[in-house]
Amino acid sequence: MTAAVHPDRNFKYWLVAPAIFLLLLIGLFPLIYSLVVSFMRIDMMDTDTSFAGLYNYANLFKDARLWWSLAHTLLITAIALPVELLLGLAMAYLFLERMPGRQLFVALLVLPTIISPIVAGATWRLLFDNRYGPINQIVSFFAGERMDLLWTINPNLVYPAIIFCEIWQWTPFMFLILLAALSNVDKSQLEAAEIDGARFWRSFRYIVVPAIWPVMAIAILIRGLDLFRIFDIIWALTQGGPGTMTETISIYAYVQGFKQFETSYTAAIAFLVIAILTVVCTWAIRRMGLAK
Amino acid sequence: MVTRRDVGKIGIAAGLAGTLPTRAALAADGAATAVEAAKQYSGQTITIVWEAGLQSLDPLNFSGPKWKELTGIDVKVVEVPVAEMFTKIMQDFRSGAGAYDALNVIPSWMPDLANAGALEVLDSFVDKYGYRDELMKIASTYRDNQMMVNGKIYGLPDDGDVFVLYYRKDVLTDPAIQKAYKDKYGADLPVPPTTWKDFDQVASLITEVTGGKPYGAAFFREPGYGNFMFQERFRNEGGKFFDAETMKATINTDAGVKVFTDWLAENKYAPAGVEQWGFVENLAAFLQGQTAMTISWPPYGRWAASYGTDQEVMSWVPKSTIAGKVGYAMTPGGHPELAAGFCLSVSSASKNKDAAYLFIQWLNSEAVSLERVKLPYALRDPFRDSHFTDPGYAALWPDAKDYLKALQDGANNGLLDLSVLQTDKYEEVLRQSVSKLWSGEDPKAILDAAAAEWDAITEKIGVDKQKAVYADWASKSGAYPKM
Repeated sequence: MTAAVHPDRNFKYWLVAPAIFLLLLIGLFPLIYSLVVSFMRIDMMDTDTSFAGLYNYANLFKDARLWWSLAHTLLITAIALPVELLLGLAMAYLFLERMPGRQLFVALLVLPTIISPIVAGATWRLLFDNRYGPINQIVSFFAGERMDLLWTINPNLVYPAIIFCEIWQWTPFMFLILLAALSNVDKSQLEAAEIDGARFWRSFRYIVVPAIWPVMAIAILIRGLDLFRIFDIIWALTQGGPGTMTETISIYAYVQGFKQFETSYTAAIAFLVIAILTVVCTWAIRRMGLAK
Repeated sequence: MVTRRDVGKIGIAAGLAGTLPTRAALAADGAATAVEAAKQYSGQTITIVWEAGLQSLDPLNFSGPKWKELTGIDVKVVEVPVAEMFTKIMQDFRSGAGAYDALNVIPSWMPDLANAGALEVLDSFVDKYGYRDELMKIASTYRDNQMMVNGKIYGLPDDGDVFVLYYRKDVLTDPAIQKAYKDKYGADLPVPPTTWKDFDQVASLITEVTGGKPYGAAFFREPGYGNFMFQERFRNEGGKFFDAETMKATINTDAGVKVFTDWLAENKYAPAGVEQWGFVENLAAFLQGQTAMTISWPPYGRWAASYGTDQEVMSWVPKSTIAGKVGYAMTPGGHPELAAGFCLSVSSASKNKDAAYLFIQWLNSEAVSLERVKLPYALRDPFRDSHFTDPGYAALWPDAKDYLKALQDGANNGLLDLSVLQTDKYEEVLRQSVSKLWSGEDPKAILDAAAAEWDAITEKIGVDKQKAVYADWASKSGAYPKM
């Protein structure tokens, strides 16, 4: 009897083996290989594969530009994420009720999300152009005089410009997810609360938020991770400038890896990012109760 | 895309090119030799890396098809943006893939690529196919400075990139402006200005008198181009990049600070937002008559004269409103930057080295290169002595002779881009510095920080190693002006 069972048990492992092998090949192997590379001194000009110990990791701590790029990333995340969440939520509420043309408007609102970020960034760069871009023309119209605002150069304007573009592109993502979540909130609970005299904020706080929280938390997590690796829009708009003022961690890693060809050092940066994200995600998942 | 019909529109030039190398009259020239030798490789395909965009229309629509017709060898063109060319070439070499046979290489990259082993030494090919005499007829600046590393040939100089001062003759000779200049400065308005002091005085006065119609001048200010502008201006002001003994960076000396400080002052007489201007913005303003002077690469001069801009592929170039009104001269200081440029090389990873070399020899030859530098869309600029004196070229538009003279003067007095080990790292610091300047940081502080970054790069590469490469570069005739 048992002899007949064992071949079956092994057979199912053979069936999944190719898939697991493929996943390991494309997922785990590059990760391990990058880790190995981060302990070497490889750059594009000099393939020194000897063991360098913690040389690259020690350099991370001395690299002020790296930590500034991390600070820039956090700054953008800290502003854009809450704004996208709040705007997305407000828009979702607005479109919760049935109204004429609702589906068309929802489809139109989602359009920015389906545009490639690099295309969106390049388009916004044109819109922000001080000679031909409409934004300065609109500002000039309201100001009553010609305004030459250098959105991608002026240190006071460059962050508002980047964050505006980011919010423009990704608020619809929040909107769509939250609209789906809000649509599934039990209406009878809200009606009962209303009958009991609960005001909007109280119903929102104690009925709506708990109901949509699992979805909202996932949306926050996804967008937070997206913002942490923000690259395209900023690269198209400012390339991290003026100077390195808007350089994010992804841009810095790109510059080090593909413009400066510091392969091993870039691998060390990648593992720093992995470490940070692992800690943050673990904390966030626990804090948001997503692990339950 | 340019069509065959467009190519035909250029006139006899393009049409002749295919037949020129094959005729007995030119039997001894490099083109004919290359064609004859290449016929044994008929049916093969060679792959060449070329700058994406207009530049690559040369091999795609002109030289590639012509080579195929003459030799039976197919040419596959891999278009790569300039910013990615170095990486792609190195990646192909490091991986050993051998995906590329022939390469376009910016001369300042050559030490890095040669030292890494990515480029094939061409001396034996040059001798084998009897090209040395014809190679020596390339203008001396390019030939002596952009062809070799450690005495070996790694590339055939193939593009006479040089900055030229373009000025509006009608504006600078306007009696009202000349009078205003004399009243203000007590001297005749210099046409063209030959020093930066004169240039700034003329430009600011034009803006003042005309109220910005046109502005006195505009420039490339976008960091990618600003890097070249800085390298030129800094050396014209007497600056040196490094202390040759210690290899400490000296870009933060008075010369560097003066350049940055002057730039800030110059922006005041230029159109608003000039800090963002690159090639296209500056071109549009000049061709539309919005600026009276500018500095740029040679194509500006051709397009200002409306040469070839009627072709469909050139439709993005604004219609020139200043044809016949433009003067050409060397940039103030008298030592223009030989900014960027291209050499033709063979990849050391190529599996078709002979065929690849023969193609680049044919492209680079006296006969074929003359036709290529006349292609309005291909952006290759005159680089042979014969190009500068060619009667056919001089007849392309009324002032073409003056244009060629300005290019030749520029080539004879031009300054090489800095070219040491890992040049792009040093240039990246300069690009960042220009960007910081526009954000309002102090010039001295920016350059002090830049010098510190240069020192760190040199330390990492190795001071002695870099010192030797810098000494080799600094010994070249175009490294620093003869003061």
